[in-house]
Amino acid sequence: MSPKISRPKWQKNLYSNESYPDNYTDESFLRDLKRNVNLKHYTYFEALCGATFLTNQLSCITSFLLNFYFLYTEEVSPSSALVFNGLITIVCYVLYKWRNMSLKDLVESSKTILTVLIFGFIFSPLMHTLTDAISTDTIYSMTFFMMFLNVAFHDYGLKSALVSKPISLNAAIFASICLASRLSSPYHAFALLVISAVYFVLYPIFSKMFWKPYFLIPIVLGCCFCLKMVSLPVLYTYICIVVFINVACPWAFVKLQCHKDNIYGPWDEAVVHSDIGLEKKKRL
Amino acid sequence: MKICMCSDFFYPSIGGVEEHIFNLSQVLISFGHKVIVLTHSYGDRKGVRYMTNGLKVYYIPNWVFYNQCILPTMVCNVPLLRNILIREDIEIVHGHSAFSTIAHETMLIGKLMGLRTVFTDHSLFGFADLSAVVTNKFLEISLSTCNHCICVSHTGKENTVLRARVPKENVSVIPNAVDTARFTPSLTAKSNKDDITIVVASRLVYRKGIDLLAEVLWRFKDRPTIRFLIAGDGPKRDLLEEIREKANMQERVDIIGAVEHSKVRDVLIQGDIFLNTSLTEAYCMAIVEAAACGLQVVSTRVGGIPEVLPSNLIILKEPNIDDIYEGLEEAINIHYTGDSSKILCPFKRNKTVKRLYNWENVTYRTEKVYEQIIKEPDPKLGEKILAHLKSGVWPYLLVVTLCYFCMRLMDLLLPKERVQKAKDLQIRKQN
Repeated sequence: MSPKISRPKWQKNLYSNESYPDNYTDESFLRDLKRNVNLKHYTYFEALCGATFLTNQLSCITSFLLNFYFLYTEEVSPSSALVFNGLITIVCYVLYKWRNMSLKDLVESSKTILTVLIFGFIFSPLMHTLTDAISTDTIYSMTFFMMFLNVAFHDYGLKSALVSKPISLNAAIFASICLASRLSSPYHAFALLVISAVYFVLYPIFSKMFWKPYFLIPIVLGCCFCLKMVSLPVLYTYICIVVFINVACPWAFVKLQCHKDNIYGPWDEAVVHSDIGLEKKKRL
Repeated sequence: MKICMCSDFFYPSIGGVEEHIFNLSQVLISFGHKVIVLTHSYGDRKGVRYMTNGLKVYYIPNWVFYNQCILPTMVCNVPLLRNILIREDIEIVHGHSAFSTIAHETMLIGKLMGLRTVFTDHSLFGFADLSAVVTNKFLEISLSTCNHCICVSHTGKENTVLRARVPKENVSVIPNAVDTARFTPSLTAKSNKDDITIVVASRLVYRKGIDLLAEVLWRFKDRPTIRFLIAGDGPKRDLLEEIREKANMQERVDIIGAVEHSKVRDVLIQGDIFLNTSLTEAYCMAIVEAAACGLQVVSTRVGGIPEVLPSNLIILKEPNIDDIYEGLEEAINIHYTGDSSKILCPFKRNKTVKRLYNWENVTYRTEKVYEQIIKEPDPKLGEKILAHLKSGVWPYLLVVTLCYFCMRLMDLLLPKERVQKAKDLQIRKQN
């Protein structure tokens, strides 16, 4: 019916297509659509390496709780626990500073340590009785939730909104203050708090610098050995969790990667590139 | 036709969506249609208000939940919204903005009452993160029964078709417009011809590319003839002030804070070049307003911006520091050399913009959409429910059916015939 009018070619703009209806869809529709730009497929080994960070943190918490258990049952005296953990800390400190160790650094660090130890010791009677009035069940469940927070907010080296070092550290310290009240003497409490500082403040710094996936093997074996002395059900739980995290999760992650499908186009928010940071540094 | 515009964003809030609804309604009224606006209450402003030319606005009493939106209860507003739609004898429900809860709720209720629904999408959205996945699913659910969608740019249409999976032919592209009579070039000559003022007018937030602007500002620190005038407020204002101080540019960079929309023209005409550094934008009203005021526009090439202005009005650059700086340099050179082949008379710019974008044209095209959908038959209840099923979110059927039952209950408690009809306001024509 309608006579064929020669009309200007449709253009992707908002002002020159008067001869076309508003709901006209040109064949160039979605021409700029791109699929899976910068798509990265991870291998099983890469996924496994990533998972070891989580296992490491879980093992760190497990070792801390083992320390608590041995202090609680009085199988280990506070002094020997302190000496044992202290020696490991010194070895790790030397490794950490090996490249550029200086006397000045050493003096600075010793000062810090002395301050922390002295003040910790002075306040240990207070810390010991701080959560005394709370029932043991509440303490244990609270410890569980705080340690869960610690795992959830811990910095595994990924950029994520959930990561928060202060929350993760505070949760762990809070948990250890809760546990300290269950011990028999203020000296025990002091030992536990020092150990918690070693595990939750110093160890993450150290492991972040030197972490290699195969470090997990001695750590897990050590934890298993100690757990065997404590309780078999806990040992089996621990092993199940480690297997789940390091075998099942990476496997599922690699398997499910085939569903990765993302679309990009002109509607995406432009990314401000990181060269901005460089210019900022130049100014300072 | 009797049209109900519904959106969480309306006067006294300020922005592109608000402007669009207000101007569209005004022209629709002048075309002889009846228009009401539905929004939530803003502080003291609640109940029914009348605006220019008898535009009736319902500020419904709801708490603001997040980002000027009401809590999405889906069911709680059924009696009130149904009552308003019946009272005003509405035929078409026109929702605005994907983020607006009121728009989606009213469209659902309107649809269940057998009215026609139109939805205008004013924003672009990515697909790459979790919040995008969730919002896009909600939009898909909401638009599955919508008669027609309107987008403000072709990029917006592509985006909406992908996000909400609506059929391509049900999406029209109708741009925004600008009141060119209000945005006119300055009539007074500049006092100092050598100085060039670069104007920026936007909210000072990350999405508007203020980080880029800050770096560009830094590059001009040794150019005493270049001045900056920055209007707008937001979290990134501190960053700009910091850069201004470090670069020792207090004399040359004016940060004047938020400006009322009616005063924007006064700010724009103080400049020669308008800079827009947005990282994403569906249409970008600001560059059109600036072009209407006769400024040379320099903008990032993102979203729908390349579609908006013809190449003689705009210099488009990629969103990075070097490119934007280059673009500004280009614009400044055109100014200094006075190259008549490139430099355009400000009034010519104003005329061009006026020809391309005016509210009469936008309204005329929107009216065509209304005329078309009013002829479309109303699907049966079963078909509406089936349409929702296509989105794959089965539990949402509970919401739809619950809404339907609520409305049947309301039909028993307060039958349609007993709802008092609102009298239409008759405005005497002043000759």
